[in-house]
Amino acid sequence: MTATERAETFAEIAAAIGVGLRSPHFRDVAACRPTIGWFEVHTENFFGGGPPLAMLESVRQEYPLSLHGVGLSLGTASGLDIAHLRRCKALIDRFQPCLVSEHLSWSVADGIYLNDLLPLPYTEETLAIVSNNISTAQETLGRRVLVENPSRYLNLRHSAIPEPEFLAELARRTGCGILLDVNNIHVTCTNLAVQPDDYFEALAGCAIGEIHLAGHSRVTRGGAELLIDDHASIVSDAVWRLYERAISQFGLVPSLVEWDKDLPDFGTLIGQARKAGRIAEEKFAGHARAA
Amino acid sequence: MLALREFQTALRRALLERDTQSLQVLLPEIDEGALAADERLEVYRNNVFASLTEALKETFPAVCRLVDERFFAYAAREFISLHPPDKPALIDYGAQFPGFLATFAPCRNLHYLPDVARFEWLMNVAAHAPDADAIAPDALVSFAAEQAPRLVFTLHPSCGYVDSAYPIDRLWRANRPGADENTEINLGAGGVHLEVSRRGAEVVVRKLDRAEFAFRDALGAGIPLAIALERAFTAQADFVAADAMSALFAEGTIVAASLCPVSGEQV
Repeated sequence: MTATERAETFAEIAAAIGVGLRSPHFRDVAACRPTIGWFEVHTENFFGGGPPLAMLESVRQEYPLSLHGVGLSLGTASGLDIAHLRRCKALIDRFQPCLVSEHLSWSVADGIYLNDLLPLPYTEETLAIVSNNISTAQETLGRRVLVENPSRYLNLRHSAIPEPEFLAELARRTGCGILLDVNNIHVTCTNLAVQPDDYFEALAGCAIGEIHLAGHSRVTRGGAELLIDDHASIVSDAVWRLYERAISQFGLVPSLVEWDKDLPDFGTLIGQARKAGRIAEEKFAGHARAA
Repeated sequence: MLALREFQTALRRALLERDTQSLQVLLPEIDEGALAADERLEVYRNNVFASLTEALKETFPAVCRLVDERFFAYAAREFISLHPPDKPALIDYGAQFPGFLATFAPCRNLHYLPDVARFEWLMNVAAHAPDADAIAPDALVSFAAEQAPRLVFTLHPSCGYVDSAYPIDRLWRANRPGADENTEINLGAGGVHLEVSRRGAEVVVRKLDRAEFAFRDALGAGIPLAIALERAFTAQADFVAADAMSALFAEGTIVAASLCPVSGEQV
């Protein structure tokens, strides 16, 4: 690789790495304007007006922005909440995000919102419902949506289709992209005794539009160990290894470090993003050579 | 095998209400492996209650400090079961919390608590309200003088009004993060009439006198000018209507004016 190629690769990698932005860190961004590729925020936190929106405007003037939804509930059997979808659309029109994403889960039933990413049985019925909901979302929003693999703590007996295959089929039917959360792969695989290999194999031909990295914690319940996806700590070694593998396989995909609870100082968060950048640099060079 | 819609209703009821029938339907559907089905459900239940409790704590921080974290978590749990969010956006969640606290038996001796909660809810509303442009007094020239009693004003969406028999503004200030824990507040020191609004990016709290409060509170509720004035005069006979109106315009509080046809006929 020549020096110029190296510099270009470096710029490309720097542009690919982002961090999740939460309101306590707005001030840090305004004060130090960090060198970071992009920021991602939770769409629903900006459904109001006033100062939060003004802050987001000022961030958007200097950085690409990704809108990550947590309330659309793509898995709800009774269909999407159109008022909610319109509020998303208004934000998308205003902020012109580079990426828009949601989850393979549900959080609304009978008009009640549970504020958690609840599990779905992966069946033909669910496949039809979620495909339909994703298509409605993409048509209304006028753009492709990325769908994220959730972290799970249970599997339903009648769930016949493995999660990665279910995701690949959703992408095939709706043209949606995949947001591959490697922390969620680790958490789900550990909790449900599944192999991460299955994800990398089943999603081999899919458009991976984004990768998420985050921390989890370990608890003991009824004598068994369980991983909890709490986004409250640094990324674990096992998850970094999955990230290496994802970059090696899928190439330089926009990658994001999320931290939602017990927020660290902004420097620690940026430090995690720098680490992702170093891994991406190393693995992407390998990926480029292999290609 | 449950249809997806039935599964979602059953899981919602099992998590929020611990509904026995729903649990009986769900538990056999869950793969156990190394961990019992109810333990697996409990992870989700914890996530739901912990995240919603956290959202309430962010909106009602002074209430939380006044009763302490453990009692707050207990009250929040009851509240969440009874009034789960009906919209998938947490900035809208908690409007019913002050009313719930007023009827929640374990804190019924804390008469000031629901008022502090009302106050914090208004602060939340003010912080997230959309921006709106104020109108100038000359926007009223399109109305005839005899229409004045029927004028209905729209106040800036960040404006809210709360009164209490207790000094809730001081209670709130003494229970902000980092406040001196030894501050003593005399609950019998008298009540307050407060306006919460946003000026620029900042949420501002102002003490109003009885008449001004009655006037603005009425206008904010969409009550026509004549009736709002009547309420203000009833509260305080020396209320000066012209001063009150020019203050509202000078502060940029009025964002629209229209005529109320129905109740206007009765004025």
